[in-house]
Amino acid sequence: MTNASSANMENVIEEKNQDMAISARNINVVYSTPTGQIPAVRNVDIDLPKGSITGIIGESGSGKSTLIMAIMNAVTKPGKIESGSVILDGKEDMLKLSTEQQRKIRGKKIGFVFQAAQNSLNPLRRVGQQILDLGRSHDVKDLRALIKYAKELLMRLGLDADRVLASYQHELSGGMRQRVGIMFALVLNADIVFLDESTTALDMLSQASVLEIIRELQKEKKLTIALVSHDIGVIADLSERIEIFYAGEIVEEGKTDDVLANPQHPYTRGLIRAIPKISGDIDSAEPLKGASPDYKTYQQPGCLFYDRCPIRTDECLKKRPDLTHIGKSHKVACFRVGVHD
Amino acid sequence: MKDFLIRLVWRIFSGILMVLAVASLTFFLVRMMPGDPVNAQYNQLIMQGMTPVQAENQVKVMYGFIPKEPVGQQFVNYILNLLHFDFGQSISYEGVSVSHIIVSAAPWTLVLVFTGLIASFLIGVLAGVIAAIKRSSPFGTSLTVSGSLLHGIPQFVMGLLLAYLFTTLWPLLPFGAPYDSSIDPGFNWPFISSLFSHAVLPVFTYALSSYGGWLLTMKSSVITVLGDDFILASEIRGLKASTRVGYIAHNAILPLFTLFTLSIGFMFGGSVFIENIFDYPGLGNLLLKSIDTRDYPLMSGAFLLITIAVILSNIITDFLYSIVDPRIRR
Ligand SMILES: Nc1ncnc2c1ncn2[C@@H]1O[C@H](COP(=O)(O)OP(=O)(O)OP(=O)(O)O)[C@@H](O)[C@H]1O
Ligand SMILES: [Mg+2]
Repeated sequence: MTNASSANMENVIEEKNQDMAISARNINVVYSTPTGQIPAVRNVDIDLPKGSITGIIGESGSGKSTLIMAIMNAVTKPGKIESGSVILDGKEDMLKLSTEQQRKIRGKKIGFVFQAAQNSLNPLRRVGQQILDLGRSHDVKDLRALIKYAKELLMRLGLDADRVLASYQHELSGGMRQRVGIMFALVLNADIVFLDESTTALDMLSQASVLEIIRELQKEKKLTIALVSHDIGVIADLSERIEIFYAGEIVEEGKTDDVLANPQHPYTRGLIRAIPKISGDIDSAEPLKGASPDYKTYQQPGCLFYDRCPIRTDECLKKRPDLTHIGKSHKVACFRVGVHD
Repeated sequence: MKDFLIRLVWRIFSGILMVLAVASLTFFLVRMMPGDPVNAQYNQLIMQGMTPVQAENQVKVMYGFIPKEPVGQQFVNYILNLLHFDFGQSISYEGVSVSHIIVSAAPWTLVLVFTGLIASFLIGVLAGVIAAIKRSSPFGTSLTVSGSLLHGIPQFVMGLLLAYLFTTLWPLLPFGAPYDSSIDPGFNWPFISSLFSHAVLPVFTYALSSYGGWLLTMKSSVITVLGDDFILASEIRGLKASTRVGYIAHNAILPLFTLFTLSIGFMFGGSVFIENIFDYPGLGNLLLKSIDTRDYPLMSGAFLLITIAVILSNIITDFLYSIVDPRIRR
């Protein structure tokens, strides 16, 4: 046995040993629109290791929200999950459970703050009543304790808890609503939490403090978190692992530090270069060239990033690269690993 | 609370103004009618051999004003009488006051239309929710089709159809008249059951022909709400199906609420076709008869009643709406 192959074995064993809160395989989601079938998520495998934060980043429209909705088996029409499995805690497959079993998992085991969290409340009921609705739906015995915990969370998130509980949605600001959405995802003590751009309506300081609280809660309760964000800084700060999404596929993934220190996919490099650094010169931020892929791009056989790629070759037009190991847990989908532009 | 009172007083005040405006309009309309009914009546009385003074008095009693007086004076008298709820006297029912006629016709209509309205609203709204939620299943589709069909059939066709089916083809129910005239009216069982069986067809006609409208409106309202983000959120939070249906229904019914309370106001116009077909002595029939016999005092009295009812229901709607929809509260 050579050294290299034994190192590989170790990797495999390590990956197997770490328990996965969620292990999704071969997820495919298609939106049927009048203009055609949009394959918004294609052949995606994603693991969320227990007790860790995973950041998901990618261009707008790349399918991040669709992917995490698919993991909840809550893709909305006209979308449809064409294939895949979502294994929870190494046991049941979310996509095969009965509607009632899924309902019990949603909200209770998996908290979810979705992108439109600002409109996630029933406009005709006070926040407090809706917490009670949530509790009753999940057979919470001690509703008083539930409200108490909700207040505690709201206070930690920097809100006036009593006022918020007595308010209707229209009486709260956008940022307040987002934080109320976060409270709803946490109040039943879910151990897996999805946050889809959940701090976008907040100013920098509030965002920093909300993220800090999420980090604290994650440590306290050993939460498994998947964090979707456009802000690579936020992800670098919080997450242990990072998934780079491009045009419905994962193009690079690994430990955040590894990926950011040694980005291999030209899209990842472009993404990092596109961040204006506060301290540095604003001109040093380079926007990504070219247009986002549209649904025609998906039909071509080659790499989806070809049109925008600075290091493309003709080979890239013939086949699509698969996600392959280039390090311990670092994977890239690119034929030109190691070539720099 | 203080704001609330101020608003209430203001709405009532402006409501009264509106009623007076409509009353004035009716007053001048009646006076401008071709052939001036008031003058015609006056002339007719003279021809019947009355002295001008007698005729004048008679007209004054009937219309609430005297044709020979200057219009301004007449108008003031008319309005003053109105403020005492004096609508004048009917021409066709000689010597009977308009308010008395209206008051005795109103219960027939109110029972008929109110029962029909409530029944069609409840059933239509429920069916609308189901039709929206199950819109891609055969059951949902057939509900929608039932709604469109019934909605499309005019009230009088529906009435004649039901009358044919249940009084001629299968003679299960009585036809025409509000009750069996051979029974002594009073608080006794035969009379009450006769009232009841005579009311079945008119009520059903009303209910069936308004059911479709409620169903279709509710269905489209529910479909709109189903697309709202908070419904998706309630699903992702794993709320029970019953809770979710409650959320949907509550939000979807708001637009229908206004329609419903306004229908209650319009109820006082009676249901002309149905009352006519089933010979029901309600407000609709009364209105028809007053037009037939050119009984202007009765006509303007009936119109005024509709006006007041609609304006009042409007005010009530506004206030109730601010209770059912917290976003309206100020
Ligand atoms: N309801 C829908 N109908 C049709 N296409 C849709 C629908 N929802 C999403 N899509 C398409 O699916 C693709 C992925 O959308 P998705 O919302 O998952 O992107 P995203 O990565 O979350 O973007 P953002 O960062 O802007 O939130 C897009 O091309 C989008 O146009
Ligand atoms: Mg999104």
